[in-house]
Amino acid sequence: MASETGWEEPVLRATDVTMRFGGLVALDDVSLEVPAGRIVGLIGPNGAGKTTMFNVLTGLLEPTRGRIDYLGENISRWPPHRRGRAGIARTFQRLALFSRLSVHDNLVASWESSHPGAVLGRSRAKRIERVAEVMGLLDLWPVADRMAGGLSTGKGRMVELGRALCTDPRVLLLDEPGSGLDANETAAFSAVLQAVVSGRGDRHPDVAPPAILMVEHDMALVMDVCSSLTVLDFGRVIARGTPSQVRADANVRAAYLGDASAV
Amino acid sequence: MSQYWPFIIIGLFTGSIYGLAAMGVVLTYKTVGVFNFAYGAIAMFCAFTYWQLHDSWGLTAWVAMPILFLVVAPLLGIALEALYRPLTGLSAEVVIVVSVGVLAALEAIVPIIYGNEDRRLQAIFPTRTFVVGSHFHVGYDQLGTLVISLAVAALLWALLRHTRFGTSTRAAVDNPDLADMVGVHGDNVRRSAWILSTMFAALVGILISPSQGLDVNQLVLVVIYAFAPAVFGRLVSLPLAYIAAMVLGVVESLLSKYANSGTVANIEAAVPYLALFALLVIMGGRLKEAGASSRRLSLSTRGGGGSGGAGAVRTRHWVVRVLGWRLRLDRNLALGLGGFALALFIPLAVPGPRLIDITAAFVYGLIALTLVVLTGWAGQISLAQFSFVGVGAFTAGHLSGPHGQHFLLAVLVAMLVAAPLGILVGLPSLRLSGLYLALATLAFALVMDDIVFNRGDVSGGLTGITVPRPQIFGVSFSGRASLYELVVVVFGVVAVIAYVVRLGPIGRRLQIVRDSPLAASTLGVNLTVTKLVVFAVCGMVAALGGAFYGALQQAVTPFDFMWSTSLTLLLLVVLGGRSLISGAMIAGAVYGVQQLPIPASVNQYFPLAIALGVIALAQEPEGTVAQARREARRVMTVLRPLPRRSVGGVREIPMTSGPDVAIAAGSPPRGSGHGL
Repeated sequence: MASETGWEEPVLRATDVTMRFGGLVALDDVSLEVPAGRIVGLIGPNGAGKTTMFNVLTGLLEPTRGRIDYLGENISRWPPHRRGRAGIARTFQRLALFSRLSVHDNLVASWESSHPGAVLGRSRAKRIERVAEVMGLLDLWPVADRMAGGLSTGKGRMVELGRALCTDPRVLLLDEPGSGLDANETAAFSAVLQAVVSGRGDRHPDVAPPAILMVEHDMALVMDVCSSLTVLDFGRVIARGTPSQVRADANVRAAYLGDASAV
Repeated sequence: MSQYWPFIIIGLFTGSIYGLAAMGVVLTYKTVGVFNFAYGAIAMFCAFTYWQLHDSWGLTAWVAMPILFLVVAPLLGIALEALYRPLTGLSAEVVIVVSVGVLAALEAIVPIIYGNEDRRLQAIFPTRTFVVGSHFHVGYDQLGTLVISLAVAALLWALLRHTRFGTSTRAAVDNPDLADMVGVHGDNVRRSAWILSTMFAALVGILISPSQGLDVNQLVLVVIYAFAPAVFGRLVSLPLAYIAAMVLGVVESLLSKYANSGTVANIEAAVPYLALFALLVIMGGRLKEAGASSRRLSLSTRGGGGSGGAGAVRTRHWVVRVLGWRLRLDRNLALGLGGFALALFIPLAVPGPRLIDITAAFVYGLIALTLVVLTGWAGQISLAQFSFVGVGAFTAGHLSGPHGQHFLLAVLVAMLVAAPLGILVGLPSLRLSGLYLALATLAFALVMDDIVFNRGDVSGGLTGITVPRPQIFGVSFSGRASLYELVVVVFGVVAVIAYVVRLGPIGRRLQIVRDSPLAASTLGVNLTVTKLVVFAVCGMVAALGGAFYGALQQAVTPFDFMWSTSLTLLLLVVLGGRSLISGAMIAGAVYGVQQLPIPASVNQYFPLAIALGVIALAQEPEGTVAQARREARRVMTVLRPLPRRSVGGVREIPMTSGPDVAIAAGSPPRGSGHGL
């Protein structure tokens, strides 16, 4: 299968992934790929299997069938923490912050979790530098000492993004980053995302900008930032292509967009 | 075959009572989301009440029964519902703690109300037997119990299955808010469930007491037998739980036939616990906690920034925070070291035998510290911590006593023995959390009691073993003062290590595993390794505490480390503050106070006071410490000069952009207290 860019090996690729829960088929032969340097959208109605796909990609669920490749390596049998260390980071639709740690410690703990030896206190200088950089990029300094559990949803999503960025990911999976955000916050979030992917504002020398796979219901945000889309419905891929192609697709309109006026 | 029949009949008889208990436990779990650790205590309380009415006051059963079932049990049920209602939707940990607190409170109340002397409850059915077939005897009481149990079980099943009460119950559990909207009164449903469940408990109590004896601890323990069948029904299926209870009763009874031959001594008593442990490990990930998806991830989301205590609000420069893990002489550490220095001089002030009690407080504090790390920091609830203390005490005791080994070597071996056991207890934690983990650790503690600590060659049986005072490199610690100094230094060293670790990467790792294991694993944390290491290390330090416990007491028996001691430890740690080192110190201090020669008439109120304190403070990770801090702050606010005061909590809010200020202002004001 050729990738969207035509020649480059994608960072992350899922091939024919099927996930059954008892009699329920949550994912049915789903394939998708995330090329380097791109923001790919995964959309579909509620219950289409998007979050299940994320759980399969990050190793929280073992698929019934199918394989996952990451940087050309079959990682289907890797446990979640190994994928995390290798550079697959994610956020959660339902916020999963370390609620009794400060915002700053959330990011520090993330850096320490993903870098070997850090839990024994190694490479502290690098950690301080990287965490400070991400804090600045996401404008988290004003809440640095606040308990993460007491934050607004908007700030909470920023903390989760920051936490993911602190692992120096090669691919970033964002599960509905826009839900619970108001218009201003969504705009800010979209700007930050584009800065992250382009490497703007993130001048860390060792880290290539991550590719992004994003589940999102906010069509404006999706159309704004994604370079390609995969549409799921009842666990099947019903369309893929650029945002404009998908928007024009009859299947998609029927299954998901429903009243197209929303777009 | 005929030789088995008597055992099968006895098994069916006890099994049918376990079945009732299991159904009662399942009932509150599936309708209210509360797993009732206190179920046995409630049964016990009801049995004592019946004894009072029937045997003591001489009321006939026709009067005593209605009073018990239609007045006492419903009132108790209503009280329990009122107690648990404010906890709806809170984390499993809080509910477990409260439920263990209720257990302790009832255990404490019964001797206060009904006194301590031995008594027997008359059987409600005649104990005569009749002969079935050619040669085996069946008691009328056994038959009567079996019939009543089957009838009541069927009735409850039909009630939940085929009546409006049943459907509204299910609705209220699935989605309380929605159920309210469509006209199901959640409060009424929950209250009915509590009343029914308490009536079951009363029935269990009066059915089982005649054969098991009317003893506070025995009754509580017998009902724990019912936890295994309840889990077998995944805590939701009444028929499965009932059938499993029957099977368990029969298996246990058949095993007792062989137990007498000496080959499998005492295994049969441990069967329900082994079954519980094995079931939890095997069923593992398939067990879901009721209402878990709607529960708050942790306590702190409730209090926002406020519940984190002073550390959360004190704004420190980020550079200071980033340097966090290096040892700094901050206020806490300074206070701790100052207190430590003072503690070293206590023998000058208290030279007498009371010094032993103070030493005991420090030993207990050391043990409590392991639970702070395990439960307060890493979020792994354990109801078996004192089993490790026992392992440490017996191992070190044997080695340094009869075997004449060096004390340090004995301690080292004790810790090495505890490590793999810690890993064994940690295994269920890989797939279980919250309630199920608590049950698995409880089962482990009970298995240790029945299979390990019961062995004469391990523990010296009922009389226990004697342990010499330590001697290290020619220095004898047999004197009260020298032993005290040794214990204080060990406690101090462990506490400082814990404090430094907490501020560093390891401390953060433990806390992220507690706050969101899922997120931690996707960030690269190996949950398996982290949890097993924490369980092993905490087990080892508890064993270290056990070695000193033995050396201090000079004699240890299995009773020192019974399962219930681990529950007491949990209660004391929660009371002190389960996320703080000072919480462990308070736990030790409270324990020490109970060792003082206080008249029993006063001392019997301590457990009750502790249990009530725990129920009140269950939601507060910093326990008494947080409460004291709040009070201090309140006093300081009152004393503060007028002109510097500002309106409400606004002064505390950091200057940030718009939305945050709104959120900060919307969070509960610090110091308002949101406990019960």
